[in-house]
Amino acid sequence: MSTEDAAHGPAGQDGSRRTHPLTPLLTGWKIFAGVIAVIAAQNLAQLVGEFTVRRALLGLGALVIALVIAVGVSALIWWRTTYEISSDGVTRRSGLLTRTGRTAPRERIESVSVERPAVPRLLGLAKVRVEFAGGSESHLDIAYITAADAETIRTEILDVAAGGPAGRAGTTGVVGAAAGGSVDGGPAVDGTTADDLAAGDAPGTPAQAPKSAEDGMPGAPARDRGLRESLREVAYDGVTDGDLIAQIPTTRLLHAMLRDVGWLIGLVVGVVWIIVTAIIAWRTDGAGTGLIAAALPAIVAVPQAVLHRLEGGWGFVSCDTDRGLRMRRGLFSTRTDNLGAGRVQDLRLRRPLLWRGPAWTEARVSVAGIGEDDSSAATSALPVGTREELLRTFGHLLPTLGTEDDAALLDRLLTARARDLGGIGPRHRLFFIGRRTRRVLLLRGALVLRSGVITAKVQVVPRERIQGLALAQGPVGRMTSTATLTVGVAAARAEIAGVDIADVLELEDALRPDAAQGRRYRDRDDWPRPPLGPHAHAPSAPAPPIAPDSAPAPDSAPAPVSTPAPAPGDDA
Amino acid sequence: MDDSTRPQRLGGRELTPVSPRLVPARYLAAVPWWVISLAIAIACLVLGLRLGWWWFEVLAIVPILWCLPGVLLTPRRVRAIGYRAGEEELTLASGLMFRSVTTTPYGRVQSVEIHEGPVERRFGIARLAYSTASDEADGTIPGLPREDAEELKELLTRRGIERMQSL
Repeated sequence: MSTEDAAHGPAGQDGSRRTHPLTPLLTGWKIFAGVIAVIAAQNLAQLVGEFTVRRALLGLGALVIALVIAVGVSALIWWRTTYEISSDGVTRRSGLLTRTGRTAPRERIESVSVERPAVPRLLGLAKVRVEFAGGSESHLDIAYITAADAETIRTEILDVAAGGPAGRAGTTGVVGAAAGGSVDGGPAVDGTTADDLAAGDAPGTPAQAPKSAEDGMPGAPARDRGLRESLREVAYDGVTDGDLIAQIPTTRLLHAMLRDVGWLIGLVVGVVWIIVTAIIAWRTDGAGTGLIAAALPAIVAVPQAVLHRLEGGWGFVSCDTDRGLRMRRGLFSTRTDNLGAGRVQDLRLRRPLLWRGPAWTEARVSVAGIGEDDSSAATSALPVGTREELLRTFGHLLPTLGTEDDAALLDRLLTARARDLGGIGPRHRLFFIGRRTRRVLLLRGALVLRSGVITAKVQVVPRERIQGLALAQGPVGRMTSTATLTVGVAAARAEIAGVDIADVLELEDALRPDAAQGRRYRDRDDWPRPPLGPHAHAPSAPAPPIAPDSAPAPDSAPAPVSTPAPAPGDDA
Repeated sequence: MDDSTRPQRLGGRELTPVSPRLVPARYLAAVPWWVISLAIAIACLVLGLRLGWWWFEVLAIVPILWCLPGVLLTPRRVRAIGYRAGEEELTLASGLMFRSVTTTPYGRVQSVEIHEGPVERRFGIARLAYSTASDEADGTIPGLPREDAEELKELLTRRGIERMQSL
């Protein structure tokens, strides 16, 4: 912790800062390991075959020199790399001779993540990733800084993104608070959630969390609660303030993995593949590299698949803050992400067959600029959540669907048979599976697609996010008089296929004004928190549940909170 | 615009066709491909004769067949392309066999470009490409007379600014 001043020490006069001095060691090590891996993989047989002590020593010496060079180069790069947070956004300047500056413009910042990969985490360091709208490589990393600094910078960047001044003055003060684990103010006093953690249980019913916050402190002994609170802050990387949205106990995560049949089948196939190749290799007296090459993809993929799921849901907790949804996850490498509600382009729900019993659901979102591949964890809003957690997550990420009872509708979408849902869907005999599973509902607030035979899938596209429509018809479509309507939103799309042409044209007519219409959530100054779920019901204007041909009336919809109201947990 | 007045073809209401000069332009642009295909066909024939492989001569049909749809259908394909600069949005329709109609609101358009290749310049036409945040709503209108392309670009830019919306 004492080194952080050194990290800030050589800061320029205009507020540009340098990352932590241990950074070159971490990045240099990576370059070094990469070189070693390539050399070793290519010449392994030769190296083993011609092993002598002298050669080993020579090799070792070469390796040490290579390591020193790698770290030295990294140190030079580190020395010439500075970052700066100003009211225009986040800028990183780098380059030894030619200085290149890369800026994440203030108004295009989509989310800020704090990632703590396993090795830097051991050293107490973290990486801040700023995602902004733009092409595929539209992110800016500040790596590595101390974890406390990372939290400070995160809030600072979010303040900047929200239109506030660049919070340079508050930096040192907040560092002190961040060392305690809490950033946004005093420690959140929320007896219910702390008790839930201590019990190792699922979070309480949604009615409890806000209620206890309103009541202030329940009569628990203060010292006990303080201890629990600080334990909780350490365990969850400080993601404790604000209203608790979802928290995944480890038992549920493991159960969910075992119950995800599709994923499990893939895993079993991989394991069987490895075993079969091992047996063949054993029977044929280790017939060499061909078999290893055949088994290698499975050997790599199987642990990766397991680890990916574990890291994606381990210790997951999400809270509602005044900057959107804040999430924490990870076992070896941890990360905290921020999802601003104004940034969510669509929401996809998934419920595999065996999750239907406990009514668990996975929720993913699309955010412009965050590709599905490069940091998929940032777009996973809920790895596996109960019904209440899903409703709360949903309510904090999307505007209302615009029906009388959104919660009941979501339940029905995930459980009911397609033909009971209403809306439109494939009718022709040719789409014999689709007409039993696919449904499209046009609600006042969103376009909802339901699909999936064994795994129930629901895609929710808020109507004001629609960027454009593409209608397509091929020979098969002409034969069956159906057409495909593709609804484009930034970073995602929704495809409505095999629906009768008359229905499709009607839907297109209804959606066309939406695409052209302004969004209600115009600025990130107001992160909307439309109420959904049992605990806070919206006094929403009565609207017809399904009105595909009526003009949308966005102005009569419940207006979002125009100023960021403090999270219920903050005012304690 | 109710169902009874809808023509058979998707998006076929009041579409502005593109310039008929696109037909010769496309033919001219396809000439190199025809030459290559013809050369391959001739090579197949000659080799087949030389080596006495009759099936090799049959293979000569393949490049010819590959070129044939383009030769026969280009005029109809060009006539099938149409756009409509409506009050709120731009609609682009194209395709004979696989027809697609894209609707892009002006407010969502993020960039507009005019492309003009050497062949196109010879026929006085240009391509107008526009893009949005979503891949689905992007589009390219080929074969616009140059002044029309400029006009449409002007319109897109102006209305885009008037109706600007973010993501």
